[in-house]
Amino acid sequence: MEYFQFLIIILFSPLVNGVIKKLKANMQGRVGPGIFQPYFDLIRLFKKDMVISNVTSWIFKATPYIVFISIIAASMIVPVITTKASLGMMGDVIALIYVLALGRFFMALAGLDAGTAFGGEGISREMTVAILVEPMMMLSIFTAAISAGSTNIAKIAETHGIFYSPSHILALSAFIVAIIAETGRIPVDNPDTHLELTMIHEGMLLEYSGRYLALMEWSHYMKQMLLFTIAADMFFPFGIANNTEVSGLAVSSGAYILKMFLMSFLMALIESTRAKMRFFQLPSLLGSAFVLALLSLLTYIMMGK
Amino acid sequence: MKGWIQAFSVIDFLSVGILLTAIAMNALKRLESCVKAYTLNSWLLSLLIAIVAFMVGEVHLYIASIVTILSKGILIPMFLRKIVRQMKVAHDVEPYISNALSLTISGILVAVVYASLKEGIFVTGFSKNVLQISIAVILIGLFMMITRRKAITQVIGLLFMENGLFLAGFSLTFGMPTIIELGVLFDMLMGVIILGMFAVQIKRAFSSSDLDKLTILKG
Repeated sequence: MEYFQFLIIILFSPLVNGVIKKLKANMQGRVGPGIFQPYFDLIRLFKKDMVISNVTSWIFKATPYIVFISIIAASMIVPVITTKASLGMMGDVIALIYVLALGRFFMALAGLDAGTAFGGEGISREMTVAILVEPMMMLSIFTAAISAGSTNIAKIAETHGIFYSPSHILALSAFIVAIIAETGRIPVDNPDTHLELTMIHEGMLLEYSGRYLALMEWSHYMKQMLLFTIAADMFFPFGIANNTEVSGLAVSSGAYILKMFLMSFLMALIESTRAKMRFFQLPSLLGSAFVLALLSLLTYIMMGK
Repeated sequence: MKGWIQAFSVIDFLSVGILLTAIAMNALKRLESCVKAYTLNSWLLSLLIAIVAFMVGEVHLYIASIVTILSKGILIPMFLRKIVRQMKVAHDVEPYISNALSLTISGILVAVVYASLKEGIFVTGFSKNVLQISIAVILIGLFMMITRRKAITQVIGLLFMENGLFLAGFSLTFGMPTIIELGVLFDMLMGVIILGMFAVQIKRAFSSSDLDKLTILKG
């Protein structure tokens, strides 16, 4: 049972995206698509034929699989409803960040491969954001890791109590900015449009169609849910089961649904109330989040909690 | 109630909030939001003093808290807002260096303070972290005075330094005697009023409150 908890992320990630879209539509006074719409989109894309440019190399064809598999590998490291993670023995949070980076690396290569202007534009932006986000993510993760005495994410989830210290709140707020930047949500990138002047994530996927596009979109949904899960594991893990008994798992699933809903609500709220920033203003936002993460680490070292 | 304050480390949260409002000053772009950050800082400061007063049961700390909120939390912000409104144009802060750089430098300042005062001085016993935070706030206030162009932002930097000093004195000795505190606060109030008038006069005479222009001779 505990070996298959990563399936939760694979199967329910489109649902999380649908919920965010629905919440966002409701906040803006629209009806919006149903929460299962991402599933229908994926199925439709899987049925379609592909158009592949004949100047592309093997990288273009391998990338959707590599990205998809790397995210699945990352989800295997993360405890979802029980801290007995499938590969909990070998996976820690630093490995997880770099498994995700592998996917991003290939995505960038594929964006360049077709040789279109928008692909190059998209990846240069994505890489700029990645450079700024990665150290900040690391610092906020380290705050949680130091207080748990381990970089193993299951152990971090086990040792955290419900009593908060300022350093955790600071690290959590930095991590939320990191999630927004990584999932391409509004102050950083607009997930709803393909406007050539502003797109970051969509720019890289522009050449993909059919099955490959479905895989890329699905991995994007999975990455989003994975990051939500990491945030929940590290900063508010209460309710997560330490064993694999049915009663514990039931409580933990309920808590997990609640936490995912809260994160989706937060994302929808931020997306509805903020305007998209100009790309050249992003370093200022991400820089402030970096200072928050730095302060969280310093506060932890100074206060010892 | 006391156990509750201990368990949720309320004092730590408040002192980190004071530090954060000081650091947020580096990222703000409008004068009005700077005044708001200062107001929030003063409210947190007086709340911290009130909670410590409750924990140790000292009457003169309650008085200090109330006087702080009246002067720094209400009167000075009101006056600053009035000055900002009188200046009419140009609500921007106009720092000499970019926001990202000034944020980074203030982060480094905090790191330096933490590194040099690792142990913390544990005199009054309510929290050993407050002294570091107060010194960091003093340094950030000084840094703000160095890097901002406008006369009014320099006044706000000075006020932040004063808040830091107040917190430092308070964490080391439980505050000075009430009469001295009252004197200091009154001085502050007068100082802010005089500096504010200066800022308005500079603006009127030079049609800008940019202090760099004061080096130009007026015929």
